Amino acid sequence: MKFDVMLTGVGGEGVLTSGVVIARAANLEGHYVRGVQLHGLAQRGGVIPTFVRFGSEDEIHSPGIMQANADLILAFEPLEAVRACYYARKEKTIFVISDHRYIPVYSSILDIPYPKLGEITRRVIPFSKKVSVFSAHRLAKEKLGNMILGTTVLIGAATGMEALPLEEDNVRKAIETTVPGELEKNLEAFELGLKLGRSE
Amino acid sequence: MTSEVLGRPGEKVVLLGNEAIARGAVEAGIGVAAAYPGTPSSEVPMVLASVADEVGFYFEYSTNEKVAFETAAGAAWCGVRAITAMKHFGLNVASDSVLPVVYTGVRSGLVVMVADDPSGWSSAQSEQDTRYYARLARMPMIEPSNPQECLDYTKLAFDISEEFEIPVFLRTTTKVSHSIGTVELGEIREPKTRGEFRKDPGRFYSIRPRLQELHGRVDDKLGRIEEKYGQRLNQVYPGEGNIGIIALGVGFEYCREGLLQLGLTTPIAKIGMTHPMSEEFITGFIEDKEAVLILEELEPIIEDFVKQVAKDVNPKLVVHGKDMLPRSGEYNLETILPVLGEVFGKKPEVDFKAHERQVREAERGLPPRKPVLCPGCPHRSTFYAVKEVFGDRAVYAGDIGCYILGIFEPIEMQDFVISMGASAGLAHGITRVSDQDVVVFMGDSTFFHSGLPPLVNYSFNAKRSPLVVVMDNAITAMTGHQPHPGSGFTGMGEKVKPVKIEDVIKGFGAKVRVVGAFNQRKLIEALEELREIEGPRVLVARGECRLLTRRRLKSKGIPIVKYVIDADQWKVHEDLEEIAEQFACPAFMQGEESGYYIDLDLCWGCGVCKQIFPVGVVEALRREAL
Repeated sequence: MKFDVMLTGVGGEGVLTSGVVIARAANLEGHYVRGVQLHGLAQRGGVIPTFVRFGSEDEIHSPGIMQANADLILAFEPLEAVRACYYARKEKTIFVISDHRYIPVYSSILDIPYPKLGEITRRVIPFSKKVSVFSAHRLAKEKLGNMILGTTVLIGAATGMEALPLEEDNVRKAIETTVPGELEKNLEAFELGLKLGRSE
Repeated sequence: MTSEVLGRPGEKVVLLGNEAIARGAVEAGIGVAAAYPGTPSSEVPMVLASVADEVGFYFEYSTNEKVAFETAAGAAWCGVRAITAMKHFGLNVASDSVLPVVYTGVRSGLVVMVADDPSGWSSAQSEQDTRYYARLARMPMIEPSNPQECLDYTKLAFDISEEFEIPVFLRTTTKVSHSIGTVELGEIREPKTRGEFRKDPGRFYSIRPRLQELHGRVDDKLGRIEEKYGQRLNQVYPGEGNIGIIALGVGFEYCREGLLQLGLTTPIAKIGMTHPMSEEFITGFIEDKEAVLILEELEPIIEDFVKQVAKDVNPKLVVHGKDMLPRSGEYNLETILPVLGEVFGKKPEVDFKAHERQVREAERGLPPRKPVLCPGCPHRSTFYAVKEVFGDRAVYAGDIGCYILGIFEPIEMQDFVISMGASAGLAHGITRVSDQDVVVFMGDSTFFHSGLPPLVNYSFNAKRSPLVVVMDNAITAMTGHQPHPGSGFTGMGEKVKPVKIEDVIKGFGAKVRVVGAFNQRKLIEALEELREIEGPRVLVARGECRLLTRRRLKSKGIPIVKYVIDADQWKVHEDLEEIAEQFACPAFMQGEESGYYIDLDLCWGCGVCKQIFPVGVVEALRREAL
């Protein structure tokens, strides 16, 4: 068995941490885990794709996912979902997207408008088996007072709709070891996401 | 981020390659670790710093890689195991001491971890292949492929170093250092932290006639290392057919997965020790083959070696490598799979090129997202003020740090970027032959790392010197907020008296002004004053990295003042768009109709925008939690 997850979003949004949560949950489930986290300058408001792969040790060697081979793409920012299509294809990939827009400064500097959400999903659909869009960040802001928890809401949604094939409890435990400082809010965010996902 | 680096022996955890190296060093019982941060190696010292107290070894962030290496080597001379970690360019700085220490040798294990960065994810200088340093220095070099090997090889590097009394390179590339993987933890050896320098005349210097004797001894050590570890660190994964693959580092991981994808069972020779290369191992692998494919990122070092060995043992061997694969850029599955397909006559499941064309079509016309200075970054404010005073015509000397992002539009104030501290040195050369205004931008950490020699040279040799702006945000920000001599605390969190940049510069006899980086009026006044001076002159633009301010306030629950644009006032004035675009704060959002608004979730309250727009356009809103 082999499952390939790509997480994408904007530096500083919690993409790296979310990747760690998924990696640790997979480890708790007894999977062999591989993946890539890019650190450094790109984090400063740039795009940071993170890869997490889990499954059998005989089948997984490369840290990165192969082009057109992601099983799941978690996009914490809609525009970046489009750029993640490089790793997606129709037969295989589920997209779980948060609709919170993080407009790049180059949109105004270069006068290139940020596309509407409908336009974004229209571009993603040819590369996906299923596209689910959630107002994860808005929900986090409304219910928990902190937008950044939207990343945890989205992980919850992916778990709830079984797009991320990991036990809920293992994800909870992974959240506990990864963000112990902000544990309660993150667990609440995860529960909110689970509910969203289950009704999807 | 919480790391599981201090887990129990036997536990299986997921670690980053760099975290696994740190764990390996802890398991090896290091007594000293010293480093200057450089990505992609930065997490090795970061993790070591975070566990040093608990485990009981000494850790420091040294002022540069050379000092860090010397610190580690001094400890290893006294019988204490030591590690230093650096990025490839860091080794250029350290090399002056690394090469002679290979001759003198060490008494206890000394490991030099060095991370190359093919594709330059975090490096703006060159795609240097550090494996050449191992040959230049005549120093052993071993290379892990995944996090488990990162841990195991680190321990092995200490064993080799100690057994043969020679420093050992542990080399990674970005995708080894920054890849994660399941790692089984081992026993932690009690750290030995105290030692003694035992005088040994003739051992710790290589002046004639000892020079040649020591050189000969290094050759002898390398020969014995090749003999003992050539078969152990290099490994054959048997398979079918008379074509073989030779791979190392992350290329080995791509190779295994690529063969799986294509349903091939080709024999692979994995190289774990790239210096000294084992002639016996290569001979054993190639003597019965018709062809080999060599998967190595960057320079054809193994390829050249294999060709040389093949001349004697299998002259008909066809050697593929850089004839099919690029010399520049890192590899990935998409680079390697088509090559494997070509060699073995197999087709990958997906037509990568056709798929990529579809993706490019889907991405067409989207706004790009490049890295930018954070909201509230003091550098943005400093750049803005300097441009107000010097415009577009001055020569802007760039350097290594977050301010390298000033390369991009709309700032465009890093006309060249070469190496740590080179802004000032190159600017001096320009000023010697040109009458242009030259402004040097240098960060605080870079100032202590390599900025001192070129700046003291101004006092020595430059009646007319460039204007230096030290962008002092009190920390080494780009690599993840490591302290430096000006920060006021050490790598182990101990409070110390900060070294003030202005005091150092005053000692050089230069004119100094210190100004808050978030105060546009004062920045401009100081710049205008310094512009009129000919001799050495330095502006210290001081403002804490906003990420740190934000973290501190957030942890204490202290709200900050956020700012808002008055839409009516915006309409009153003209050309405000231009100011907003030039300032390029990520919190500024273009409104649906006209004008801009500030996204309060992104505003970190630096208040500089209020100063650069006409009075009344931007107003303080209220205190709000971050």
